[in-house]
Amino acid sequence: MAVRRIDVREKVMAKNDELAAAVRGRLSEQGVPSLNLVSSPGSGKTTLLERTLDQLGARLTMAVITGDVQTQNDAERLAARTDRLVQAVVTGGACHMDARQISTALDEIDLEETDLLFVENVGNLVCPASWDLGEDAKVVIFSVTEGEDKPLKYPRMFERSDYCVINKVDLLPYLPFDVDQAVAYAREVNPQLRFFFTSALTGEGMDGWYEFLLDLAGAIREITA
Amino acid sequence: MHELSIALDVCRIAEEHVGAGALARVTAVGLDVGARAGIEIDNLEFCLEALLGSAPFGSGKPVINRLEGAELSVTYVEVEDDGGS
Repeated sequence: MAVRRIDVREKVMAKNDELAAAVRGRLSEQGVPSLNLVSSPGSGKTTLLERTLDQLGARLTMAVITGDVQTQNDAERLAARTDRLVQAVVTGGACHMDARQISTALDEIDLEETDLLFVENVGNLVCPASWDLGEDAKVVIFSVTEGEDKPLKYPRMFERSDYCVINKVDLLPYLPFDVDQAVAYAREVNPQLRFFFTSALTGEGMDGWYEFLLDLAGAIREITA
Repeated sequence: MHELSIALDVCRIAEEHVGAGALARVTAVGLDVGARAGIEIDNLEFCLEALLGSAPFGSGKPVINRLEGAELSVTYVEVEDDGGS
Protein backbone atom coordinates (compact mmCIF):
# COMPACT_ATOMS: atom_id res chain seq x y z
CA MET A 1 0.00 0.00 0.00
CA ALA A 2 1.37 3.41 -0.96
CA VAL A 3 2.29 5.95 1.65
CA ARG A 4 1.63 9.57 0.89
CA ARG A 5 3.57 12.35 2.57
CA ILE A 6 1.70 15.57 3.31
CA ASP A 7 3.87 18.62 3.89
CA VAL A 8 2.74 20.48 6.98
CA ARG A 9 5.30 22.97 8.31
CA GLU A 10 3.09 24.23 11.10
CA LYS A 11 4.36 25.55 14.39
CA VAL A 12 3.12 23.60 17.37
CA MET A 13 1.20 25.91 19.69
CA ALA A 14 0.50 28.32 16.84
CA LYS A 15 -3.13 28.12 18.01
CA ASN A 16 -2.17 29.27 21.49
CA ASP A 17 -0.04 32.07 20.06
CA GLU A 18 -2.97 33.22 17.91
CA LEU A 19 -5.30 33.26 20.91
CA ALA A 20 -2.65 35.05 22.99
CA ALA A 21 -2.30 37.71 20.30
CA ALA A 22 -6.08 38.21 20.37
CA VAL A 23 -6.02 38.55 24.18
CA ARG A 24 -3.16 41.05 23.93
CA GLY A 25 -5.11 43.04 21.34
CA ARG A 26 -8.23 43.07 23.48
CA LEU A 27 -6.37 44.21 26.59
CA SER A 28 -4.44 46.91 24.79
CA GLU A 29 -7.58 48.21 23.10
CA GLN A 30 -9.12 48.65 26.54
CA GLY A 31 -5.89 50.04 27.98
CA VAL A 32 -5.57 47.29 30.57
CA PRO A 33 -1.97 46.38 31.46
CA SER A 34 -1.54 42.76 32.49
CA LEU A 35 0.96 40.79 34.53
CA ASN A 36 1.34 37.01 34.58
CA LEU A 37 2.61 35.90 37.98
CA VAL A 38 4.66 32.73 37.75
CA SER A 39 6.66 30.80 40.33
CA SER A 40 7.13 27.49 42.04
CA PRO A 41 4.30 26.45 44.39
CA GLY A 42 4.34 28.21 47.74
CA SER A 43 6.44 31.26 46.81
CA GLY A 44 3.73 33.67 47.97
CA LYS A 45 1.91 34.66 44.77
CA THR A 46 -1.49 34.69 46.44
CA THR A 47 -0.22 36.51 49.53
CA LEU A 48 1.44 39.12 47.30
CA LEU A 49 -1.86 39.65 45.51
CA GLU A 50 -3.86 39.73 48.76
CA ARG A 51 -1.72 42.52 50.12
CA THR A 52 -1.69 44.34 46.78
CA LEU A 53 -5.49 44.25 46.58
CA ASP A 54 -5.71 45.48 50.19
CA GLN A 55 -3.26 48.32 49.72
CA LEU A 56 -4.07 49.53 46.22
CA GLY A 57 -7.75 48.65 46.08
CA ALA A 58 -8.82 52.24 46.73
CA ARG A 59 -6.65 53.61 43.91
CA LEU A 60 -6.77 50.93 41.24
CA THR A 61 -9.48 48.66 39.97
CA MET A 62 -7.73 45.32 39.67
CA ALA A 63 -9.04 42.10 38.18
CA VAL A 64 -7.51 38.72 38.89
CA ILE A 65 -7.59 35.40 37.07
CA THR A 66 -6.19 32.55 39.15
CA GLY A 67 -5.14 29.17 37.84
CA ASP A 68 -4.82 26.04 39.92
CA VAL A 69 -4.68 22.37 39.09
CA GLN A 70 -7.47 21.76 41.62
CA THR A 71 -9.55 23.87 44.05
CA GLN A 72 -10.64 27.48 43.90
CA ASN A 73 -8.91 28.24 47.20
CA ASP A 74 -6.73 31.05 45.84
CA ALA A 75 -9.66 32.71 44.09
CA GLU A 76 -11.67 32.53 47.31
CA ARG A 77 -8.82 34.06 49.33
CA LEU A 78 -8.52 36.91 46.83
CA ALA A 79 -12.26 37.42 46.44
CA ALA A 80 -12.35 38.29 50.16
CA ARG A 81 -10.06 41.28 49.41
CA THR A 82 -11.88 42.86 46.49
CA ASP A 83 -15.35 43.66 45.23
CA ARG A 84 -14.25 42.80 41.72
CA LEU A 85 -14.81 39.41 40.20
CA VAL A 86 -11.95 36.99 40.71
CA GLN A 87 -12.02 34.44 37.93
CA ALA A 88 -10.86 30.95 38.91
CA VAL A 89 -9.54 28.61 36.26
CA VAL A 90 -9.23 25.01 37.42
CA THR A 91 -6.90 23.38 34.94
CA GLY A 92 -7.94 19.87 35.98
CA GLY A 93 -4.48 18.36 35.93
CA ALA A 94 -2.76 20.60 33.39
CA CYS A 95 0.49 22.09 34.68
CA HIS A 96 0.01 25.53 33.12
CA MET A 97 -2.63 27.99 31.92
CA ASP A 98 -3.21 28.63 28.24
CA ALA A 99 -4.45 31.60 26.24
CA ARG A 100 -7.87 30.07 25.63
CA GLN A 101 -8.56 29.99 29.37
CA ILE A 102 -7.61 33.65 29.67
CA SER A 103 -9.75 34.56 26.69
CA THR A 104 -12.77 32.84 28.25
CA ALA A 105 -12.13 34.36 31.68
CA LEU A 106 -11.92 37.85 30.15
CA ASP A 107 -15.48 37.49 28.85
CA GLU A 108 -16.65 37.79 32.46
CA ILE A 109 -14.47 40.78 33.36
CA ASP A 110 -15.58 44.34 32.70
CA LEU A 111 -12.38 45.53 31.04
CA GLU A 112 -13.59 49.10 30.65
CA GLU A 113 -13.73 49.32 34.42
CA THR A 114 -10.35 47.63 34.96
CA ASP A 115 -7.03 49.40 35.52
CA LEU A 116 -4.83 46.35 35.88
CA LEU A 117 -5.15 42.61 35.29
CA PHE A 118 -3.25 39.96 37.20
CA VAL A 119 -3.03 36.36 36.15
CA GLU A 120 -1.87 34.09 38.95
CA ASN A 121 -0.53 31.10 37.07
CA VAL A 122 -0.28 27.50 38.27
CA GLY A 123 2.65 27.11 40.68
CA ASN A 124 5.26 25.55 38.43
CA LEU A 125 8.61 26.92 37.26
CA VAL A 126 8.70 24.89 34.06
CA CYS A 127 5.58 24.72 31.92
CA PRO A 128 3.97 28.16 32.25
CA ALA A 129 7.12 29.61 30.62
CA SER A 130 6.08 28.02 27.34
CA TRP A 131 2.54 29.44 27.18
CA ASP A 132 2.03 33.00 26.10
CA LEU A 133 -1.21 34.17 27.71
CA GLY A 134 -1.27 37.54 25.98
CA GLU A 135 0.11 39.32 29.04
CA ASP A 136 2.34 42.40 28.91
CA ALA A 137 4.95 40.83 31.16
CA LYS A 138 5.69 37.85 33.33
CA VAL A 139 6.67 38.44 36.94
CA VAL A 140 8.58 35.57 38.51
CA ILE A 141 8.21 35.29 42.28
CA PHE A 142 11.29 33.76 43.86
CA SER A 143 11.12 33.15 47.60
CA VAL A 144 14.15 33.04 49.86
CA THR A 145 13.17 29.61 51.16
CA GLU A 146 14.20 28.28 47.73
CA GLY A 147 17.78 27.77 46.56
CA GLU A 148 19.76 30.70 45.14
CA ASP A 149 20.38 28.70 42.00
CA LYS A 150 16.71 28.42 40.97
CA PRO A 151 17.35 30.77 37.99
CA LEU A 152 20.09 28.45 36.74
CA LYS A 153 17.92 25.37 37.22
CA TYR A 154 14.86 26.88 35.55
CA PRO A 155 16.41 29.38 33.14
CA ARG A 156 13.54 29.59 30.69
CA MET A 157 11.17 31.02 33.29
CA PHE A 158 13.69 33.68 34.32
CA GLU A 159 14.54 34.44 30.68
CA ARG A 160 10.90 34.95 29.82
CA SER A 161 10.16 37.20 32.80
CA ASP A 162 10.70 40.95 32.88
CA TYR A 163 10.39 41.29 36.66
CA CYS A 164 11.51 39.23 39.63
CA VAL A 165 10.02 39.56 43.09
CA ILE A 166 12.32 38.10 45.74
CA ASN A 167 9.77 37.34 48.42
CA LYS A 168 9.67 36.29 52.09
CA VAL A 169 12.62 38.56 52.93
CA ASP A 170 11.34 38.64 56.55
CA LEU A 171 12.75 35.10 56.83
CA LEU A 172 16.28 36.07 55.77
CA PRO A 173 17.64 36.20 59.35
CA TYR A 174 16.75 32.52 59.77
CA LEU A 175 17.99 31.20 56.43
CA PRO A 176 21.35 30.74 54.75
CA PHE A 177 19.93 32.32 51.55
CA ASP A 178 22.42 34.68 49.85
CA VAL A 179 20.41 37.43 48.14
CA ASP A 180 23.34 38.81 46.14
CA GLN A 181 24.15 35.37 44.81
CA ALA A 182 20.52 34.78 43.84
CA VAL A 183 20.37 38.12 42.00
CA ALA A 184 23.67 37.36 40.26
CA TYR A 185 22.37 34.00 39.06
CA ALA A 186 19.14 35.55 37.85
CA ARG A 187 21.05 38.29 36.00
CA GLU A 188 23.27 35.64 34.43
CA VAL A 189 20.16 34.18 32.83
CA ASN A 190 18.44 37.50 32.13
CA PRO A 191 20.50 40.69 32.50
CA GLN A 192 17.38 42.86 31.96
CA LEU A 193 15.44 41.52 34.96
CA ARG A 194 14.12 44.19 37.33
CA PHE A 195 13.97 43.17 40.98
CA PHE A 196 11.72 43.81 43.94
CA PHE A 197 12.59 42.59 47.44
CA THR A 198 9.48 42.01 49.47
CA SER A 199 7.76 40.28 52.29
CA ALA A 200 4.18 40.01 51.15
CA LEU A 201 3.38 38.72 54.65
CA THR A 202 4.74 41.66 56.68
CA GLY A 203 4.58 44.34 53.98
CA GLU A 204 8.33 44.97 54.06
CA GLY A 205 9.65 46.29 50.75
CA MET A 206 6.22 46.41 49.14
CA ASP A 207 6.25 50.16 48.41
CA GLY A 208 8.45 49.77 45.32
CA TRP A 209 6.09 47.12 44.02
CA TYR A 210 3.05 49.36 44.55
CA GLU A 211 4.75 52.29 42.81
CA PHE A 212 5.60 50.06 39.89
CA LEU A 213 1.97 48.93 39.59
CA LEU A 214 0.61 52.45 39.87
CA ASP A 215 3.04 53.61 37.17
CA LEU A 216 2.12 50.72 34.95
CA ALA A 217 -1.62 51.38 35.26
CA GLY A 218 -1.21 55.15 35.03
CA ALA A 219 1.16 55.17 32.11
CA ILE A 220 -1.01 52.98 29.97
CA ARG A 221 -4.13 54.97 30.83
CA GLU A 222 -2.45 58.20 29.77
CA ILE A 223 -1.59 56.73 26.40
CA THR A 224 -5.15 55.58 25.73
CA ALA A 225 -6.76 58.75 27.08
CA MET B 1 5.90 18.32 32.23
CA HIS B 2 3.74 19.88 29.51
CA GLU B 3 4.83 17.50 26.77
CA LEU B 4 1.42 15.82 26.72
CA SER B 5 -0.24 19.16 25.89
CA ILE B 6 2.30 19.65 23.11
CA ALA B 7 1.69 16.12 21.85
CA LEU B 8 -2.08 16.73 21.79
CA ASP B 9 -1.49 19.87 19.72
CA VAL B 10 0.65 17.81 17.31
CA CYS B 11 -2.29 15.39 16.95
CA ARG B 12 -4.68 18.28 16.33
CA ILE B 13 -2.39 19.57 13.55
CA ALA B 14 -2.18 16.10 12.01
CA GLU B 15 -5.96 15.80 12.07
CA GLU B 16 -6.36 19.19 10.38
CA HIS B 17 -4.18 18.02 7.51
CA VAL B 18 -5.42 14.48 6.92
CA GLY B 19 -9.03 14.69 8.16
CA ALA B 20 -10.60 12.81 11.06
CA GLY B 21 -11.47 9.81 8.89
CA ALA B 22 -7.86 9.13 7.92
CA LEU B 23 -6.24 9.19 11.36
CA ALA B 24 -6.12 5.40 11.59
CA ARG B 25 -4.01 5.37 8.43
CA VAL B 26 -1.38 7.85 9.66
CA THR B 27 1.97 6.05 9.63
CA ALA B 28 4.30 8.85 10.70
CA VAL B 29 4.30 12.44 11.93
CA GLY B 30 7.50 14.38 11.35
CA LEU B 31 8.58 17.09 13.76
CA ASP B 32 11.41 19.57 14.10
CA VAL B 33 12.25 20.09 17.77
CA GLY B 34 14.97 22.45 18.93
CA ALA B 35 17.12 21.92 22.00
CA ARG B 36 15.89 25.25 23.41
CA ALA B 37 12.19 24.68 22.69
CA GLY B 38 11.52 24.04 26.37
CA ILE B 39 10.68 20.43 25.61
CA GLU B 40 12.05 17.23 27.04
CA ILE B 41 12.29 15.49 23.68
CA ASP B 42 12.27 11.88 24.93
CA ASN B 43 9.17 12.65 26.95
CA LEU B 44 7.46 14.22 23.92
CA GLU B 45 8.36 11.17 21.87
CA PHE B 46 6.88 8.89 24.54
CA CYS B 47 3.62 10.90 24.59
CA LEU B 48 3.39 10.88 20.80
CA GLU B 49 4.05 7.15 20.59
CA ALA B 50 1.16 6.59 22.98
CA LEU B 51 -1.23 8.96 21.18
CA LEU B 52 -0.37 8.06 17.59
CA GLY B 53 -0.48 4.35 18.40
CA SER B 54 -4.01 4.26 19.74
CA ALA B 55 -7.52 5.25 18.56
CA PRO B 56 -8.47 7.39 16.74
CA PHE B 57 -4.96 6.89 15.37
CA GLY B 58 -3.76 3.40 14.41
CA SER B 59 -0.07 2.66 14.36
CA GLY B 60 1.55 6.02 13.68
CA LYS B 61 5.06 6.85 14.83
CA PRO B 62 6.66 10.19 15.64
CA VAL B 63 9.82 10.99 13.65
CA ILE B 64 11.66 13.70 15.53
CA ASN B 65 14.38 15.73 13.87
CA ARG B 66 16.48 17.20 16.69
CA LEU B 67 17.83 20.68 16.02
CA GLU B 68 19.56 23.49 17.86
CA GLY B 69 17.42 26.54 18.55
CA ALA B 70 13.85 26.91 19.74
CA GLU B 71 12.03 25.39 16.77
CA LEU B 72 8.93 23.35 17.51
CA SER B 73 6.90 22.44 14.45
CA VAL B 74 5.20 19.63 12.62
CA THR B 75 6.89 19.22 9.24
CA TYR B 76 4.91 16.40 7.61
CA VAL B 77 2.32 13.69 8.06
CA GLU B 78 2.57 10.37 6.24
CA VAL B 79 -0.66 8.53 5.46
CA GLU B 80 -1.25 5.15 3.90
CA ASP B 81 -3.48 5.48 0.86
CA ASP B 82 -6.75 3.74 1.49
CA GLY B 83 -6.52 1.91 -1.87
CA GLY B 84 -10.14 2.60 -2.78
CA SER B 85 -9.59 6.11 -4.07
